[in-house]
Amino acid sequence: MKLIKKGAEGDLFLTEWNNQKAVLKARKEKNYRNSQLDHRIRKQRTRRESEIISDVKSFGICTPLVYFVDTKNCTILMQYIAGTLVYDLPTPKLILICKKIGQIVGTLHKNDVMHGDLTTSNFIVSHGQIFVIDFGLSITTKKPGDHAVDLRLFKEILNSAHAPLMKEAWENFLVGYKTAVGTLRFNKVINLVSVIEGRGRYATVV
Amino acid sequence: MLCLGVESTAHTFSCAVLEKKGKKGKILSDVRKIYRPPEGEGIHPREASRHHVENSAKVLSESLQKAKVSVRDLDIVAYAAGPGLGPCLRVGAVVSRSLSSYYQIPIYPINHAIGHIELGKLLTGAKNPLVLLVSGGHTMLLAFMMGKWRVFGETLDITLGQLLDQFGRSIGFASPCGKQIEDLANKSSIYVSLPYVVKGNDVSFSGLLSATKSILSEGVENACFSLQETAFAMISEASERALAFTNKKEFLIVGGVTANKRLSEMLQSVCRRQNCKFFVSPQNYSGDCGSQIAWTGLLESSVKDGANLDETFVRQAWRLDTVEIDY
Repeated sequence: MKLIKKGAEGDLFLTEWNNQKAVLKARKEKNYRNSQLDHRIRKQRTRRESEIISDVKSFGICTPLVYFVDTKNCTILMQYIAGTLVYDLPTPKLILICKKIGQIVGTLHKNDVMHGDLTTSNFIVSHGQIFVIDFGLSITTKKPGDHAVDLRLFKEILNSAHAPLMKEAWENFLVGYKTAVGTLRFNKVINLVSVIEGRGRYATVV
Repeated sequence: MLCLGVESTAHTFSCAVLEKKGKKGKILSDVRKIYRPPEGEGIHPREASRHHVENSAKVLSESLQKAKVSVRDLDIVAYAAGPGLGPCLRVGAVVSRSLSSYYQIPIYPINHAIGHIELGKLLTGAKNPLVLLVSGGHTMLLAFMMGKWRVFGETLDITLGQLLDQFGRSIGFASPCGKQIEDLANKSSIYVSLPYVVKGNDVSFSGLLSATKSILSEGVENACFSLQETAFAMISEASERALAFTNKKEFLIVGGVTANKRLSEMLQSVCRRQNCKFFVSPQNYSGDCGSQIAWTGLLESSVKDGANLDETFVRQAWRLDTVEIDY
């Protein structure tokens, strides 16, 4: 097994499953965390991720296939997706693709799923399709407030890691999001995004 | 080049004299007077500002004496213009404005949070770090990109410092109470389950604060221990996420809560996992001090003229990601 990425959540290894390339996501013990707390978090996230990653397929979201889950050792064996991270895309493409990401996120929300970690490194472009990964922080929730948290995080990431294209990318994201959730819900969630931002430290209250 | 830095954002009134030669900075003096609220209470802005007014002259003259300079030797004066408590900020601003107008010294309004970062960089030698700023006013993960410190993660409600202080006050301590909580936590190793809220690179502490108060019946030491373990693990995870996302090879922690040993131990372990260099600002300069203001003033002066007196306002809510940096 070859280590492909030492992520914050877990280590990703490249391996095989029935002669197919596969990824093993291992949530290893974090020795800085209290072991009781650490165990609770790792187990909960492994279970949630494996469930939600498969559930979202039913409403048309592309995610890796889950082959095997081990809740004792906190590992998930899943399909290897060859492609490019949205994080690494050239500027014009990244701006464009934000519209599609908005649509995907809208579809997730419409079906009561909050992703919980919407960064540009959790979307993979593979053969013209966008795959969503990393559902460790996902929860099933109908609350518009939770959905707004998702949007705020994506906005924060655009505003920091992709600052020069933030404006256009965010506008595109919103266009895509709106088409998926409809105007009524869109307005509600967008309002809540400003509420959350206003709660932040030293935020400019508009 | 000599600069006097005046800090008065919250409980600390401090004056420091720093010298800059080329890119090197040297702290000639750093004198502080800290306002202590009565037990079980937080900073009262009016009382704190009165404390600052009463101590300002003494702190100022002492800082000049220790540095062995006179006011006329100063090339510039810098003051913390925000963010912070209005009444407190105004004391530092008035002192600085008076010096500036009477002695004709160029004046620089400085963002207090940027001061923490710049002084941290100067004292540790970190070049291009991901910064975790943890204090009473801030809990933020930052990286410098294209002229600004950009936020990669932050608290969605209260800060780590506020969490510790507000909990500490509820059990009868006076702010800042991080040290007392740490001492109590060290006496226990029994973990009581508490809510752990990480949202991407962001964290939220308000629910944790209420929940910790409600487990006080399990023993105050256990509550302190569980609070620290949970809150610090949250901030460590958010840091690790931001490190993995930004691919930074350096990690710097600055701000008052840096003094907590358990926190820096956890963050050090995060850095080992992510194969990244760990820097922590020296304890003596991690809390609020005049040096952070003076050094940032010196950096600013290398690219900018001083501000006009009628622009030397204080800004209570001055977010650091709005500050443009040209040096």
